Parts: sequence; structure tokens; C-alpha cells
Amino acid sequence: MDQPRIGVYVCACGTNIAKVVDCDAVVRAAEGLPGVAVATTYKYMCSTPGQEMIVADIEEKKLDRVVVASCSPRMHELTFRKAVKKASMNQYYLQMANIREHCSWVHGDGVEATQKAIGLVRAAVKRVAFHEPLESRMVAMCPNTLVLGGGIAGLTAALELADAGYQVYLVEKADHLGGNLARVDLTAPHLDSARDLLRERIHRVMGHPHVEPFLGAEVQSLEGYVGNFTATVAVPGGNGAGPAAAEGDDGPTDGGGATRSPRTLEVGSVIVATGYREFDASRITHFGYGKLPNVITSFEFERMVREGRIETVEGRQPQYVAILHCVGSRSQEFHAYCSRVCCMTALKYAHELKSAVPGCYVSDVYIDMHAFGKGCEDFYRRSSEVKTLFLMYGKNDYPVIRKAEPGDDCGMLIEVSEQLSGELIEIPADLVILMVGMEAREDSAEVARLVGISQDKDGWFIESHPKLDPVATTTEGVFIAGTCAAPKDIPDSVAQARAAAARILGKIARGSIEVDAVFAEIDEEACSGCRICNELCPYSAIEYKADEKRSRVISALCKACGACVAACPSGAIRARHFTDEQIFAEIVGVLA
Amino acid sequence: MNEDRPTVADLPTVADLPTVADDQTAARVDRPARRAPTGAAGSFQPRIVGFLCNWCSYAGADLAGTSRTPYAASVRVIRVMCSARIDPTFVLKALAEGADGVLICGCHPGDCHYSEGNYKTMRRYPLLKRMLADLGIEDARVRLEWVSASEGQRFADLVDDMTQRLRALGPSRIKTALATDHAER
Repeated sequence: MDQPRIGVYVCACGTNIAKVVDCDAVVRAAEGLPGVAVATTYKYMCSTPGQEMIVADIEEKKLDRVVVASCSPRMHELTFRKAVKKASMNQYYLQMANIREHCSWVHGDGVEATQKAIGLVRAAVKRVAFHEPLESRMVAMCPNTLVLGGGIAGLTAALELADAGYQVYLVEKADHLGGNLARVDLTAPHLDSARDLLRERIHRVMGHPHVEPFLGAEVQSLEGYVGNFTATVAVPGGNGAGPAAAEGDDGPTDGGGATRSPRTLEVGSVIVATGYREFDASRITHFGYGKLPNVITSFEFERMVREGRIETVEGRQPQYVAILHCVGSRSQEFHAYCSRVCCMTALKYAHELKSAVPGCYVSDVYIDMHAFGKGCEDFYRRSSEVKTLFLMYGKNDYPVIRKAEPGDDCGMLIEVSEQLSGELIEIPADLVILMVGMEAREDSAEVARLVGISQDKDGWFIESHPKLDPVATTTEGVFIAGTCAAPKDIPDSVAQARAAAARILGKIARGSIEVDAVFAEIDEEACSGCRICNELCPYSAIEYKADEKRSRVISALCKACGACVAACPSGAIRARHFTDEQIFAEIVGVLA
Repeated sequence: MNEDRPTVADLPTVADLPTVADDQTAARVDRPARRAPTGAAGSFQPRIVGFLCNWCSYAGADLAGTSRTPYAASVRVIRVMCSARIDPTFVLKALAEGADGVLICGCHPGDCHYSEGNYKTMRRYPLLKRMLADLGIEDARVRLEWVSASEGQRFADLVDDMTQRLRALGPSRIKTALATDHAER
């Protein structure tokens, strides 16, 4: 191998890296490494001037390899691959050293961190010398999309794609569309009807020539890769849409179809919009949910409002109503996160109560009032004008609810250690509404496994990048939208659904997609025909040619896990871009 | 760039690393508080090669970064697509090149991006461990753990724990032993 000409680019990432790692020292160390023709540092390598610097160097200084020491390759490898490609360099001649996530952000000691960064850069330089030019494969993009979940996000995404003229398969587990929104009466902060928001969408989805809805159905398997997935869907009775198509009444009931026969669907993309479930209020004992009959959850109150009958279990109109925030949310014991929609929903209840039950006293017991979002602060102000008593309680200092004495004019008494006044305040209540938070659905782990995406510690699906790529996932072709990714309100869910649809439309418009050139290949000269690899491949991507007594990788099916490579007793299988030589070079590099 | 930054010449070699003084750490008030294992004066800083699968464990290590979860600077991560790609020779190579420990991380059983790669790793690993034991290599030097994409803290804890164990064990003598062996031949 000729001596390569390697350019090493050390990113300061503003101060993210430079605050801990001495980037100049890394550059000087890189300059001394064999094959390094240029080494330099820059404030932001991913910025346009940063990328242009690399492009110019490749052209002017005749570089044939590039190492970028910056953030995780999971973050910007594609960015820098595109940059080197611009300079007509094969994109696989790039290697990244992760000196941010794996170094400057986790190590406080500058000397140690710099030493480690140098080790990582040295490994990348040694590795990149062994890189080979690879050609990406172009595969056809199937324009059909599978949407999981028929709530507001799923419906919106489905219509967006179908209106553009592409086929959508909408799979909903329940026997009706609408999701959790179908259980809501009015929506905050404009007090428009949830039913109105949904009805038109459900109607259009059911009658759309490009949407095939499956109700009471579940995806059983998803195989393939971006542009070319095959999904198997279990459908009740074997026909497409189930009988009940209207928005549901209460709670997503799982469709109990008698016989489920699978349908096989060819799709190019998948949108996961499976939503959330509400926190189970009976898990918190101090609020007496399940014991005190007039302590109800927000969804139970929605049902009352939808039925037009706000009353206690005894059938009386409540004179005092208390609304308790953050039930299951923002607590060390249950969910540490904020469920985002409950504060505004609580204010909505105050409005609904004031208009439905004249003379009713409403107390709103909150930790912090989260009124972010368009129109929400105004809504908060308007709510305080409708004579709502706002009381602030402390995190983990739960209000205590007990039954009132026979002589009291109310059913229950709530003791609140009020934060602003510093006093212990007792308020009357005939009805207590617990604002239950959102949590990941019970089947979210199953869904994640099925479509090959990850979950965070709370069970929410993980996006490709929380700020810059919020609807994509690490599995190309699989997108997430709505509350399955984290608690969010309707506008945000709809925006994500449309964003996911737009991402897919972009892929469809290009007609074909570039897939990674990384796959395994078998040196048929070295192959002994033992067939160990045949059985190991989870994708049946290795075929055995009986006449030649050799195995062969079907590259289109290979997903490059490398299981066969490590198992081959003859060392006949190479993992392109993860060859033994490349990894050995990296090992030597980090330890040198 | 700060004036007081060390130059390459000032940087300790890896063997010198343990002597990094504690007061240098304390001076950096803008960094997260560091936990015990790293660079305490006089203690030995082991070198760990981490082989991490791209989908779960590498993402988990990235999360430790984005969450600013501090851990010992002992580990150097090499990314592979799946833990099943980790050829036993990678582990041997790392030990022969002077690693004091090797940490293999993959997705939790059932969560593999490639459905079952980690099961293959799980089955291969005991065979490797048996061989390492036969070679007289201490048990704590090679470790297999599952780290999901959401377990940044777990990754940090694992690195710290392994660092502490290796510190107790002392530096690996494999590289020098191999060199002596070669010289004798």
C-alpha cells in the first residue's frame, strides 16, 4: 500500500470539545503520525466553512483519506461523508474519532481527556489507511407506507401521504380510529372540539382511495430495509377495515376479532404513531383513587363532560371541585418528566366547570403552571379571571385527601401545604380530578423490537437526533410521530406527523435510495463450504452453491452485522468497512 | 486556547498517567464533579479497550456524553455494528497490544438490532473466557455486558467499576510477557 495522504480535522465544537481537550495538542500529535499530510483544528468542522476547508484541502493538498475528530459518528458521519464526496473522494475514505460524547463531555481532567483524544485520533488515522473505496448501492424505493396507530398523528400522516397520491396502510390495534383524542371533549387553549378535529380526518381516511385502514389489527413482523420492507399484519376476519369505524367512545379497546389472518404488505417506509397511555392513578395511594368514589381521573372527567353530566357518584352537582396537577408526572417515585398537556387541560376543566355548573368553586392545585406554547399564557390569564383558586404544592409534598365530617357542606377535604403563602390550607371538594400524566404504552417495547427502534429510560421511542432530526430513528425508513416519542400536545403531534410524511415524500420523490455499501463478502477461494455461516445469518443472506461447495453472500439482503465474519473458521468472510485489518489498526492505535 | 494547557511534550505517557494530581482536577470548576476512580494520585490508570455495538451500546455511551455523565478516562471505544462481529482475536489482539482490560458491550438479550447477534456473542463468550483462563489471564480483564441506548449511566458505572477492579488487579503483564517470549526465541 502506498503511503496515504491523510487530513486530520480536529473540531473544537465551540467550546464543547476545546473546553476540556487541548485541540492544538491533538493536532500536533496527529501531525507526527505516519501518513498525515495535514492536521488542523477549527471551531465548528460541521459548519459550511469547516466542510469547505476539508473539500479545499482534499483538492489542493491531494488528500486521499480524511479523519474528523469531533462528535459521535452517529451524529455527523453522513455530513462529513457528503463533504468528502463533494471533493470527489470516495465517502468511505472518511473515519471519525468521537472526542466529544466519548471524551470531552465525560472526562473532566484536561490532561487525561487530551491524552484519550490523541489515542482516538491515532486509532482513526491508523484505521483510515486501511479503508477501501466502496460504492453505495441504489435500490428501488417502494412508495407505499405503513402507519402504525390511528390517533391524531397517524391519521394526519396517513392523509398527508395519501393526498400526495401514495398508498398508505393504516394499522390500528383498537376497533376504532381516533386514539386517545377520541376520549377528549374540548381541547386547550382554544376550546375547540376534539370530535370536530377527528371526525373529518377519520371520515377521509375511511373513504380515501389511497388509504387502506386495518382496525383491530396488529403488525406481526417487519422485514427488509428502507425502501423495501415487508410487513405482516394480523387482521380480524381477514377483511380490510373492521365493522366499527367511528371514533371510539371510551378508551382504546383492543379489537377482539375472531380469526386473524395475516396480510402481507410491501412498504418502503414506516411511521410509528402508537401514542401513549394514561398513568394509572391507583398507583398513588395518598389521593385515594379507587377508594374515594369522587376522586376521578382526567379521562373520567372528559367522559362526564362528553355525556353532558357533571356530577358526583351520588348524582349531585358538585359545588366544590378540586383539580390536582402532576399525577404520576414530575415525581421521583413515578415519572420524572412533565407530561406537558395536563396544565392546560386542567385550565380547560376550570372553564368547562364554570360554564356547566354555575356557582361552582374550582380550586386548581398545581406544582408549577406550565403554560408554554402558543396561546397558552393567555389561556392561563383568562382562567384566573374566571375565579379559579390557584394553590401551589411542593414536589413530592403531596396534598392529602380525606372524607369530610358529616356536618361539613362538602364531600372531601384536601390539605395542601401551600408554597406561596407557606401555610397549610384546607380546601373543600365534592369532586377531585386527578390530572394523570402520559406514559409509554404497555406494548411499546414490543413495537420497538418489531420495527427495530430504541426506547429511552421512560419507554419513549428514541429519535435520530432530539433537535435536528426529531422524527427519524436510527433505523432508516422508520419514523416516529406524536406521543409515542414523548408527551406532546396536538399541534406538536400533528407537526411531527406531517414532518414524517414529508421525509417519506422526499424519499419517494427521488425514486431510489442509496443504501450503505457496507456488507459482508465471501472469498470463494478461501471458503471451505462448511456452511457454518449459512445458519448464523439472521437474514438468510448467505446462499450455498452446492455444485461449487461454496457459500455466497446475497449483498442486497445482508445488513452487515458481521456475525458470519467472526464465525468463519477459514477467515474467508470480510465485513466491508469493518475488516479485521481495520479493527486491528484501531486496536493498535488506541493502545499505542 | 488556554495558556496553561499542556503541550504534547508535557503530556504524560500512558504509563505516567496515574500521577495526574488531584488539584488539577479541582481547578476545573466548570466540569461535572468527578467520581473516585480516575487519576487519583499514585493509583494506576488501566487501559480498557471497549468494543461496542453501534445500535445499543455505542448509542448508550453517546448518551452518557450528551447527559454529561462523568466516568473514568480509562476506556477507548471501538465501534462495531454488532457485538457478534467481535472476533475473539480482537480481544486477544487488544490484550497482546497492552490493554489492561477489554469490555464488550451489546444490546440486551432480545433487543439486538440484528435480532439475535447478541445471542451469538453470548454463546461465544464463555468459550473465549475458558481459553483466557487456560492462558492464565485474570477473569476481571475481559467482560461482557449489555448496555441499551438509554443506559448512559449504566455504561459510565460499568467503566468505573471495571476501572476499579483492574486497578486492584494491577497492570496486565501480557504484552511484556509476549515480548520476553519473543526475545527468548
